[in-house]
Amino acid sequence: MSKSDSGSNPEYVNARVRARRAKLFDDEDYRKLVRMGTGEIARYMEESEYETEMNELGSRYNGVDLIEYTLNRNLAKHFEDILDWSGGQLYDQLAAYLRKFDAWNLKTILRGVYADSPSEEIEADLIRAGEFDDAFLARLLEVQDIEGIVELCSGTIFGPGLDEALEQYQETQALVPLENAVDRAFYEHLLDDAGTVTDVDSPAALYLEFLQAEIDFRNVRNALRLSRSGADIDPAEYFIEGGRLFDADELTQLVTNTDELVARIRDSAYGDDLSAALNELEEAESLIGFENALDAALQEYADHFSNSFPISVTPILAYIIAKERETDNIRAIARGKEAGLNEDEIEAELVTI
Amino acid sequence: MFEALADAGMLTMDSVANFLPMQEEVLNGNAQPALTQKGAAAIGIGLAAIGAGYAERGIGAAAVGALAEDSISTGIAVFLTVLPETLAIFALVALFV
Repeated sequence: MSKSDSGSNPEYVNARVRARRAKLFDDEDYRKLVRMGTGEIARYMEESEYETEMNELGSRYNGVDLIEYTLNRNLAKHFEDILDWSGGQLYDQLAAYLRKFDAWNLKTILRGVYADSPSEEIEADLIRAGEFDDAFLARLLEVQDIEGIVELCSGTIFGPGLDEALEQYQETQALVPLENAVDRAFYEHLLDDAGTVTDVDSPAALYLEFLQAEIDFRNVRNALRLSRSGADIDPAEYFIEGGRLFDADELTQLVTNTDELVARIRDSAYGDDLSAALNELEEAESLIGFENALDAALQEYADHFSNSFPISVTPILAYIIAKERETDNIRAIARGKEAGLNEDEIEAELVTI
Repeated sequence: MFEALADAGMLTMDSVANFLPMQEEVLNGNAQPALTQKGAAAIGIGLAAIGAGYAERGIGAAAVGALAEDSISTGIAVFLTVLPETLAIFALVALFV
C-alpha cells in the first residue's frame, strides 16, 4: 500500500470494538432465544444491546417486523460508529468492506422502484451503514424510475457497471442484470485499497487475504447454487474477479460437476477449515448447511487473523463479520418462529462457532 | 599520532595554522570531551522519554476508546496509560552513576 499511514488509529477503534464484541449474544443467549416466541424475543432484545432501537421502533412495528427493523438499525448504528471513529488508511480499508451496505441499499431501491413500492416502504428497508450519506439516499428515494437511479449513481463506484447493465435491462425488462452489476462493482472495488501488498507479513497482507477468501467463498456459493438449481446460466456471468481459488474458465467447468468442485475446494488452502462442511455437503446434500459452514469458516478465518495482528484492521473486520452473523442468527430465529419451525430446525439455521 | 600530526604541521605551516592552537591544548593535557558524562545521560533520558511517549500514544488512544465504551474504570485507564513512564523514570538512574 503506497498511501501513508498517517491518521490511522487502530488502537482506539480496536478498544471500542472489542468492548462491543463482548456484548454480542453468545451460545447461551441463542439457546434461550430459540425457545421463545417472537414477542418474547422482542422483549429479550429490549433488555440487551438493542434497547434504544426497540424503544424507537416499538410504536411503529410489531412482531417479526419490529425485530427485523431493530436489527437493521442497530447494525447500521454500530457500523456507522466504526467509520466515524476510524481515520486514514484504516478508514479506507473498512469503508471498502462496508460499501457492501451501499450495494444492499442500491439493490433495495432498485427493487422497490421496479415493484412500484412507495418510497416510505423502501426507506424502512435501508441499512444506513455504508458510505452513501442520508442526503444521497434521500435523492435516490425521490427518483421514480430505474434510469434516473442509474444516472444518479454515475459518480459512484457502481456507475460504469450500471450504465452497461441498463441497456440489458431496457431490452429484457428484468432486474437481474442491474443487481448483478451492483454486486460485481462492490466485489471488484473491494480490492482497490488493498490491491498490491509488498510486505507479506503485515496486517495489510492479511486483510487482502481475508478479502480474497470472501470473494472465493462468494464464488463457491454462487457456483454451488447454480449447479444445484440446474439452471442454464453461464457461470462466468456471475464470476467475481480477485479470488485465489478459481478463474472464470475453471469455474465454468466445475459447476457442472459438484463432486469435482468439492474435491477442488478440499485440495485448496481452505480445505482444513471447510472439511466438516464438505463432508456434510457430500452426504446430506444440503446447501443451507454448507452455506452456513462457509459463513462460520469466514468468521474463523477473521478471528484467526485478528490473533496474528491484534492491533490492526483485522480485529475490526472480525467484529463486523461477527455482528453480521448475530443479526442473521436473530433474524433466522425470529423468521423461523414465525414460520412455525421447531427448535432443532431453527438451530440448524444458526451460524455459531 | 599527535606527534605525527604536529610533524606534518611543521612541514606545511600555512595550511594547518588554524589547528595548531587546538593541538597545543590537546598536547598540554587540557582536553575536553565533546560529550561529557552528564551530557550523555541527558541524551539517554531524552531518548527514553521519547520512547515512553510513543508507547503512551497507543495505550492512551486505546484507553480512551475503552473508557468510552464503559468497559474499564478511569483509574485503570490512567494507570495503564502512564505505565511506560516508568521507562523514563528508570532512565534517570543514568544521572547518578
